[in-house]
Amino acid sequence: MIWQVLAGNLTHGLVLGAVYGVATMGLSLIFGVLRVVNVGHGPFIMVGAFVTLTMFAAFGIAPPAAIPAALVVGMALGFAFFYVVMRRLIKAPELASLLATFAMGILLEEIVKHTLGTEFRGYVWDVGKITLPMTVMPMTKVYAFIGSIIVAVALYLWFNKTRMGTAVRTVVEDSEGARVCGVNVGWSYALSFAIGIGLTVMSGVFLTMFIPVGINPYMGGAYTLKAFVIAVLGGLTSPYGAFFAGLIFGLVENGSYVFFALIPGVEPFALTRFITFAILLIILLVRPTGLLGRK
Amino acid sequence: MKLKIVKYYPLIPVYAAYLILFLIGCTMPGMWQMVALLAFYCAIGQAFNIFLGMTGYVDFGYVAFMALGTYGMALGITAFYQSGLGIGIIFIGLLLGVVMAALLSLAVGAVALRLRGAYFAIATIGVNEGFRYLIEGAKIWGGSEGMIFSGELKEAFGVEMASRLSTLWADVAVFIIAAVAAFVTIHYMRGKIGYALTALREDEDAAKVMGINVTRYKIIAFITSASFAGLIGAMAWALKLTYVFPPDVFEIHYTIECIIVVLLGGAGTLLGPVVGGLIYALSKYWLAVVAPGFQLLIFAPIIIAIIVAFPEGIMGLVKRRAKGTGWERYII
Repeated sequence: MIWQVLAGNLTHGLVLGAVYGVATMGLSLIFGVLRVVNVGHGPFIMVGAFVTLTMFAAFGIAPPAAIPAALVVGMALGFAFFYVVMRRLIKAPELASLLATFAMGILLEEIVKHTLGTEFRGYVWDVGKITLPMTVMPMTKVYAFIGSIIVAVALYLWFNKTRMGTAVRTVVEDSEGARVCGVNVGWSYALSFAIGIGLTVMSGVFLTMFIPVGINPYMGGAYTLKAFVIAVLGGLTSPYGAFFAGLIFGLVENGSYVFFALIPGVEPFALTRFITFAILLIILLVRPTGLLGRK
Repeated sequence: MKLKIVKYYPLIPVYAAYLILFLIGCTMPGMWQMVALLAFYCAIGQAFNIFLGMTGYVDFGYVAFMALGTYGMALGITAFYQSGLGIGIIFIGLLLGVVMAALLSLAVGAVALRLRGAYFAIATIGVNEGFRYLIEGAKIWGGSEGMIFSGELKEAFGVEMASRLSTLWADVAVFIIAAVAAFVTIHYMRGKIGYALTALREDEDAAKVMGINVTRYKIIAFITSASFAGLIGAMAWALKLTYVFPPDVFEIHYTIECIIVVLLGGAGTLLGPVVGGLIYALSKYWLAVVAPGFQLLIFAPIIIAIIVAFPEGIMGLVKRRAKGTGWERYII
């Protein structure tokens, strides 16, 4: 029985992990290129969730159609935030960029709060379910899984096969060297930041396809913290490292929950969170290049 | 001998500010709550500045030390309220709070201070959140329900004294803590520790090569700063509110507020946290009155603008203007 539950939870964990992966790729891309930790990461995910909700609830447009819309919204936000604020903070001490991105997150939360309210919302998009040997999976989750993998592959191809992607990779390695070789570093910064934010907002769509309830202005905070753990697991600078780390994180989170639920007198949900932060610290201390990173 | 006193001159404006604040609170009816709020922000700014301002390391989980101070006081009161020790119970609580905060900072410092920049910031967030979920998950110290000890406090001191402790003496203690923190700040700044920390803030590798034991000084600053945070948590949160609730005391927004206070006033200056704390708390208080619910919406863009426009903070600017004038020795 327990194995059945575990297998079911792990399947959901794998699917959620893919979504987590996409939700973290933006954070890693931005850190890799600009060396800036986006502490306001979660609120951008929240924006994506609200884009989905608004399109579906107000106009009846199915969630998958919100994916390109969220990407566009996110990239617009990313470019705007970069050119107004971040451009001036790249060479500043960490304190400045950390506080600025956090303030940006608060600003987003507050704007959404004052325009759309603070109540928890959700939507129902029923497109059937499939029955697997160990669990029943709604089709929306399957679509979120497939969509996440497509996005991850697309980013991989852009990063590794295109001219612009190569330029960005050289900036990750050594921004001064890239500049000397004629790479337009400023544009690489702007584009990476915009793509990073775009991916993050877009992941909000996948997330609501996985969990279509609990959408509210402050939903992002928990995802910021999860994204930190995942990004560190993936080596912080590598977007597709983050994707695989997301898969691992989803499995660990859902798997450990099954075991903690067996221990009497504890709160399994909180302990699961504790384990993830313990992993974060251990990885940072033992192997700061990430599980999949080079030594 | 004269030289020794001169180095403490910058304390004069700080103490003058605290004295004026204290007198306003004592003499003007109805002002004490606001004065207490101002003192609280000045105190946490001053405490955080000892680490953030002097080393340049960003501890994003700073509120964890305040949380442990709060728990220390809560544990002290709930364990000893029937012991008949009188006011000694409060001192036991304070001691527990400081020791717990200091021990955590020692543990975190010993391992996480090897990390730099963004990695350190993320690690400290991890410590803060990890600790919170450990308490909630393993049901330590009341788990996610927290601890409520107003009953114990009343039983130990009587209803009237308990209420005076919460509404008056806890705030007075915050003033004293702020004053002591200012003294320690200047003592560090004008001593060997301050010079070592300045060197490491500017260039850690160079400082190391010059033979400075950077790890030692970083940990000294970290533990000092965390201990003050523990004291403030014990007084301004535990004794004043008479409860501890994990989601409140580990709330990351308090860390952000500390950072804002320090940055606004000027990181690494003595007067900065006082100026920053006063401005931040006053504007927060004022906005809560004139635009309730809109404080954060107004604050967020202002913070971004301040970071971009003048990252040195107010005292950073004032310090530059004061250079070469007679005011120089009073401002740091």
